[in-house]
Amino acid sequence: MAEQAEQRDPRSEQRVPQWAMAIDLDRCTGCEACVVACASENNVPTAGEEEAARGRAKHWIRVDRYYEGEFPDIRVKFRPVLCQQCDSAPCEPVCPVYATYQNAEGLNVQVYNRCIGTRYCAANCPYTVRFFNWFTPEWAEPLGLQLNPDVSVRPGGVAEKCTFCAQRIKRAKLDAAEEERELADGDVQPACVSSCPAEAMVFGDMGDGDSKVSKAIASGRSGQLLADLGTRPRVFYLEKAD
Amino acid sequence: MSAHSSAQTPARSFSQVRNELLDRMEGFSPAYVAAVAACAAVVAWALFAWGYQIAFGIGHAGIRRPVYWGFYIVNFVFWIGISHAGTLISAILRLTGAGWRKPVTRAAEAITVFCLMIGALFPLIHIGRTAYFYWMLPYPNDRLLWPNFRSPLVWDLTAIMTYLTGSVIYLYLPLVPDLAEIADRSTGRKRRIYRALSLGWTGSDRQWQALERAMKLMAAMILAIAVSVHSVVAYDFAMSVAPTWHSTIFAPYFVVGAIFSGIAALVLVMAALRKAMRLQDYLRESHFANLSKLLLLMSLVWLYFTFSEHLTTWYGNFPREINVLNVREHGFYGLLFWTMVVCNFVIPLVLIGISRLRCIPTIVVSSVAVLVGMWLERFLIVVPTLSTPPLPSAWGTYMPSWIELSITAGTFAAMALLYLLFVKAFPIIAIWEYDEGIPAR
Amino acid sequence: MDRRNFVKLVGTASGGAVTGACGKKSEQIIPLLVSEEEIEPGVEQWHPSICGDCGAGCGTTARVMAAEREIEVDGERFRQQVAAIKKLEGNPADPVSGGRLCARGHAALQSLYNPDRLRGPMKRVGERGEGRFEPISWERALEEVSESLARSAASDPGKILYLTRPQASSRSATVARFLESLGAPPARSVGTGDFAAEIEASRRAFGWAGIPVYEIQDSTLVLSIGADFLGGWVSPVLYSRRYGHMRQGRSELRGRLIHAESRFSLTAWNANRWLPVWPGQELALALGIGHVLVSEHASPSVAEASEEVLATFESVDLLQVSEASGISIEAMRETAAALAQATAPVVVAGASMVRENSADALTAACALNVLLGRVGEPGGVMPPAASGTGLEDARPAAQGWEARLAEAEIVFVDGVNPAYNAPSAGTALTEAGTVVSFSPFVDDTAAYADLILPDHDALEKGRALVPDVSPVPAVSAVESFVSPLYDTRSTEDVLVAVAEAIGKPIEAMDPASVLGGLHQQMGSAATEQAAFVREQLRQGGWRGERRGSQGAGQTALGSFREAGKRGGLQFQAYASVQFGEGAGANRPWLQEMPDPGSSAMWGTAVEVDPGTAAVLGVTNGSMVRVESASGSLEAPVYVHPAAIPGVVSMALGQGHANYGRYASGRGANPMAVVGDSREAATGAIVHGPVEVTLAMSESRGRLIQLSRQDRDEAPHRV
Ligand code: SF4
Ligand code: SF4
Ligand code: SF4
Ligand code: SF4
Ligand code: SF4
Repeated sequence: MAEQAEQRDPRSEQRVPQWAMAIDLDRCTGCEACVVACASENNVPTAGEEEAARGRAKHWIRVDRYYEGEFPDIRVKFRPVLCQQCDSAPCEPVCPVYATYQNAEGLNVQVYNRCIGTRYCAANCPYTVRFFNWFTPEWAEPLGLQLNPDVSVRPGGVAEKCTFCAQRIKRAKLDAAEEERELADGDVQPACVSSCPAEAMVFGDMGDGDSKVSKAIASGRSGQLLADLGTRPRVFYLEKAD
Repeated sequence: MSAHSSAQTPARSFSQVRNELLDRMEGFSPAYVAAVAACAAVVAWALFAWGYQIAFGIGHAGIRRPVYWGFYIVNFVFWIGISHAGTLISAILRLTGAGWRKPVTRAAEAITVFCLMIGALFPLIHIGRTAYFYWMLPYPNDRLLWPNFRSPLVWDLTAIMTYLTGSVIYLYLPLVPDLAEIADRSTGRKRRIYRALSLGWTGSDRQWQALERAMKLMAAMILAIAVSVHSVVAYDFAMSVAPTWHSTIFAPYFVVGAIFSGIAALVLVMAALRKAMRLQDYLRESHFANLSKLLLLMSLVWLYFTFSEHLTTWYGNFPREINVLNVREHGFYGLLFWTMVVCNFVIPLVLIGISRLRCIPTIVVSSVAVLVGMWLERFLIVVPTLSTPPLPSAWGTYMPSWIELSITAGTFAAMALLYLLFVKAFPIIAIWEYDEGIPAR
Repeated sequence: MDRRNFVKLVGTASGGAVTGACGKKSEQIIPLLVSEEEIEPGVEQWHPSICGDCGAGCGTTARVMAAEREIEVDGERFRQQVAAIKKLEGNPADPVSGGRLCARGHAALQSLYNPDRLRGPMKRVGERGEGRFEPISWERALEEVSESLARSAASDPGKILYLTRPQASSRSATVARFLESLGAPPARSVGTGDFAAEIEASRRAFGWAGIPVYEIQDSTLVLSIGADFLGGWVSPVLYSRRYGHMRQGRSELRGRLIHAESRFSLTAWNANRWLPVWPGQELALALGIGHVLVSEHASPSVAEASEEVLATFESVDLLQVSEASGISIEAMRETAAALAQATAPVVVAGASMVRENSADALTAACALNVLLGRVGEPGGVMPPAASGTGLEDARPAAQGWEARLAEAEIVFVDGVNPAYNAPSAGTALTEAGTVVSFSPFVDDTAAYADLILPDHDALEKGRALVPDVSPVPAVSAVESFVSPLYDTRSTEDVLVAVAEAIGKPIEAMDPASVLGGLHQQMGSAATEQAAFVREQLRQGGWRGERRGSQGAGQTALGSFREAGKRGGLQFQAYASVQFGEGAGANRPWLQEMPDPGSSAMWGTAVEVDPGTAAVLGVTNGSMVRVESASGSLEAPVYVHPAAIPGVVSMALGQGHANYGRYASGRGANPMAVVGDSREAATGAIVHGPVEVTLAMSESRGRLIQLSRQDRDEAPHRV
């Protein structure tokens, strides 16, 4: 499962964190707080009714739901789906301009400025978590006052997706550096994770065996989405107990 | 059918042939002018649509999540496919020394060049930031940024550029003696232009030998390039992890489809030339008959590949692939699917396979059917797979907008327009090939 | 801009109040992100705030950073530096949110920065309800209000009507003072989030004042009757946190959940077992389960129950309640047995959808806890924690405003939207005297107002508020920390000014005085008061100690109004995860958030079971006409795989006549079909059921879904 090789920073010789997320489906209620939290943190534009009707709504994280059985013996199987930050990401090699790549910390990075909008990555992402800016986004005055200055507003014509809240990782590192301490487990809280009312999501360094996320991954209920494709996702799902 | 079809062609001297073919290049009939104007108008409209898309956002096209690739990629594959008409067919015929090829080759080679020019435009139309398309090119820059050579799109770019260069050379080489001929017969600026274009051709033995060697070499090379180009286009899909795209059969399947549609396009162009330029004596029934047999053969090969592809997917019964198959074979796409089978197989089989029915009009009808069928095939490869990604929650559909429809129409008009202009600038049948047998040297 | 200037900027905005709470993180301001390595975050500060989007009153923190906006002064455009709120998070120190937020809580930002906010006071120029207004100056507006109010106060103060939200807050205390000084009756709450039935049932079954607190995190089996505590209800964030803990927070112990509701809500999604009770028959179900407990499970706790409680359940006819509720005797027996055998069961009694007899149904459900001996026990049900501020006394009640509305000489509408939530209110508002709205938007009700005196956004205001449910005694209290964007005025200030103008001056209740009063009441030394207030404001409020166990007080169940099972198609409205009772509809994030059940965006669907849909010949997106004796609506269908056959449900939220660009004229309001019935004991607005007919409709409309596929497998295989 988690056999990612240990990475070390070539300059400092420090171990590079290996970011991962665990989502406990036995806690998750399907409330979609994560969905709105992500939009709010990451300047994800609202498509509007017409564009949403044309399949242009952007949800860096969504809650998939499937009904099983018939009334009255009906259940619903649901799962929040975001970019799985695959270690062997199908979206990466196909990009002709290196606009998406895997960084040392295991993030599948999207470089908006480099992207030319082929949408090859989106066609090849098995989780369909990549989105495309069909237009240059606009915010009716004064909605734009809310925009997060740590996150770029993506121009029209480029691909985008969940970044594992890369800006929050950066901020946590700067804070730790300023306070002259090492990054501690739990210092990085992506917006969806910190919002989740059921406390279903855990984020952290899976390279650190003592981290909460490592323990969640080792819990025995852990699995990966479409694991058979060999994409080696960094998002682990703790399956529902029944 | 014309009276010529049954009559024996009268023997002609080289000078007769030459005068006749060169005369065909002169003068602009009202019908010609009208055709040029009509095509130009459609092309202009398509350019407007493209401009609109660039200026106001690619969102005005119909592509959407999850069908991130739509008409543009369909057209890309289609036109690159047709481009195989020319060079490949002409090269095969040239290398196998098929004597009947003489009046066919140039028409075919021109198709290749034009189709490639049109096909290569589609990636530019398709991408979100057209202005930065050159970032796919490996050019030196002080940020030391290189394209990603692992991306099939970069292979595509390389393959298509190579094919285009090769095809232009391959079209140009056998044009050289004819260009010199035209220069000799004209005066003034026209003479200077054609003289320059003929690259100092004098018709010396040494030059003829060099030309022949070059043509043989190019024919051999272009064959390999052509096969590789459509293989690479197939790899755009086959290298993915998308259900039914990730398939070992795709490269040969695409090449076969390419040759198949290429022949159909060639038949169509030849029929149009024969009629419009009164070339009945050159493009004879036998040419159509030979090409139609090739077309029928390819139809069978295509059917074999299609059958294999669907059989293995169906029998393998992987849910994700079966989902794609369901989408492709039922509902609206199912209608398109069965239309494709009828166009690509049933119509050619009946109209060409039954010898009593085989004549130029039925061959032309078959070719039109094959072009429609092959366009649908490309569509049915691109769209249903993207409509049906592995997670059912993301399933969706796709409808093209006026922009995609306009641009698609525009490319067909562009093809016709390029051809219309070409036949007035260059002899569409290689004059000197009729000179070969005459011991003038 | 350097840090000093930035702090000054924020300091100015906050009136210098809580700069002590600001955490400076970094000194760089480099805005755009490319890849993770290149991100250089700017300066940020976090300020405590309170979510005002539902009564749960989650404690939040707001991330404040520099931003620029364009303003127009005398026709010239300027760029102005402002301290903008970039993000809301839960306040980890808050006992309710525990640092978490629900979807609506995040979207509160889009109320603050909503493009349709009123820029200043408005005076009506069109007909009532038409929604045409022109700007008016604050001086003029206050004069007009004061004149009308003075007239009413002089003639008949009984005809002064103040409609507001049911929360216990500094605001409601100020309103109470205002009305008291006028000699007017107390304010009334309007809306579906007033939990009047829960409060009434708590009084009857436990003798408590307020909404009970369920310790589900420590229980082993939760039976919820009618409470969609994960999707909405009194405090979704608190109960989601507790639910998560109940499932996976304890080693080797995983709690189970049985949920009874007439709709497949989020709580039903997550239940081990869903009991699809026929709408309006929650009482029958509770009685049935109680009957089995009493007659078949003679545990010590049952023996301890009072005569009245035992008698109530003993007399139940099991066959009859089973038939009425649609829940088999078998299922009732299994549920009762599970409850009886569980080490720490609890019955959560809630009316996510209010019925005509909800107070009775909830009383019976609450009484199950008495039978199980779970009152005041760990993992059981706890009394509401009194904050000690006395703000609870000012909690407006739901009862009896409708009759007074049309006759009122002056009506104040503050934070509620009766024209949307109670369909008949529109007509009454047309007939009422002066109508004054404090709404920041021209909403359905404000459209009837003579004057709109827009309040600041909740995020621009200092407030103190007692959460509807809190595990510990608590009051949230915050000061404002950003300057108001527009020429709006705090409603508290407006009330003070108006009272002053008519010669009946009052003092506003503000967060500092609430905390000051609390400090005094706790009997601490007066010298420390200023420090106490400052410290609590820095933390976003005061939180007391967790209480020990406490049993029930006086129990008086009273007699129950059983509703006979109604036949035909039953229609019910519900408060959705996105829109609550409708206020969320003008936030684009919530409009585009897919409905958890149907995946619908930018619209709400009529949820029909597959059998009924087949009979009607409708599929997803078909337009239908729903008609009841009260009214009708047209909306697209969602064929809900888990809808109870014969039960048609629809979310509240859409169908606003007026509510800005994102909500106006979009979709349909289910209350038009539900009509205007009231809960018998409390006067709370009822959500159905009503009998309806369904027919295909020719009208145009559509169902936009993020995921059209609602099954994991393909519809057919080759
Ligand atoms: S989930 Fe998709 S976008 Fe994310 S890394 Fe994997 S393939 Fe790429
Ligand atoms: S859309 Fe952008 S990131 Fe994706 S493959 Fe194309 S260039 Fe790369
Ligand atoms: S990790 Fe960040 S970017 Fe990714 S889904 Fe969560 S909030 Fe969005
Ligand atoms: S916020 Fe948490 S509980 Fe809600 S849907 Fe997202 S992961 Fe699930
Ligand atoms: S539950 Fe949601 S809407 Fe209600 S106060 Fe909390 S965050 Fe706000």
